[in-house]
Amino acid sequence: MMEKAQHVGMADIVLVKHPGKMVSLGLGSCIGLVIYDESTKLAAMAHIMLPESRGGKDNTKPGKFADTAVPTLIDMLVKAGAKREKFKAKMAGGSQMFNVPGSKSGFLAVGARNAEETEKRLKQSGIKLVASDTGGNRGRSVEFSTEDWILVVKTLGTGKQGI
Amino acid sequence: MEYSEFNPIHLDAIREVVNIGAGNAATALSEMLGKPVDMGVPNVELVSIYDISERFGPEEDFVAAIYTHAEGAFPCNLIFIQDEDAAQGLVDAMFVARMNTDGREFPPEMRDSALGELGNIVLSSFLNAVSRMIGSDSLSISVPGVAHDMLGAILEFVASIFAQSGELALLVNTTLQLEQDGSDLKGNLMMVPDPGALETLLSKLGVL
Repeated sequence: MMEKAQHVGMADIVLVKHPGKMVSLGLGSCIGLVIYDESTKLAAMAHIMLPESRGGKDNTKPGKFADTAVPTLIDMLVKAGAKREKFKAKMAGGSQMFNVPGSKSGFLAVGARNAEETEKRLKQSGIKLVASDTGGNRGRSVEFSTEDWILVVKTLGTGKQGI
Repeated sequence: MEYSEFNPIHLDAIREVVNIGAGNAATALSEMLGKPVDMGVPNVELVSIYDISERFGPEEDFVAAIYTHAEGAFPCNLIFIQDEDAAQGLVDAMFVARMNTDGREFPPEMRDSALGELGNIVLSSFLNAVSRMIGSDSLSISVPGVAHDMLGAILEFVASIFAQSGELALLVNTTLQLEQDGSDLKGNLMMVPDPGALETLLSKLGVL
């Protein structure tokens, strides 16, 4: 029997061992990032809100920033017995919910910066990003299961799609 | 200034700003629709940013949200969020008031532009009142952006704005509501100041 899905809230990090399932609902500009190792059957998901911590003081939630979430996911997985050389990653989110022509607020595009920074950090850590569904202007819910290692992405209007 | 440093006098001043802003917005909406519009009690409270996305309902609820960014002396984000059904009901009411049809025969893009206009009137009326209170005529707002999407995805954007400055959010919101064919059409108006903007507001009001 598959266990109940664990909820990954904003800035949360959740680790599961097979059989496990993680879900993050209503991702807008945030990123749902999963790093997993099929050989040891371990996976961890972070719900990233902002690109960079800028060495800030609130490091109690490393899942909040792309630059702290990636190394934390790696550490947690390695500590749980996962093999780093087998790591793969999937991610979804980073959309721009509002399109406002001429707005001086650069923050509207934070989703794109989240996706960029996450990708950059994965690359620097030598982790292969095998699937990604980012950008656009739709909110997404994501679900990841160790049953098939597929990240199911749901949007309102266009339905579900596995990546 | 950290959000945790705001005291009851500050919060009361902000509540009063919202009260006057939302009153002006309700009047404008009422004039546009030719119907009475009720306004809720303003809510001003400090909450954890991590609680925002579930605060107003299930994350996957289908909502319509209208967003605008105000520039000038008090830079802030203004967002009007309604259940999708309520938004469509408001658009119906707008067409009825203006064109004697509920407008359901019009294409979605046209209804969307009507919704954007409705949001524009609500949000700019709110801001105009705030402008007058702080004696500034330099506030201007962007063209509104409209999204039809998951409630959680909209609120997550709000949470991210606060996340830039820490773990706390000063949640400032109120409801506007009108009765249409026996059902209540309700919208939630949120004011999310840019980092540092509340200090400007409070000092202009003379409480900081």
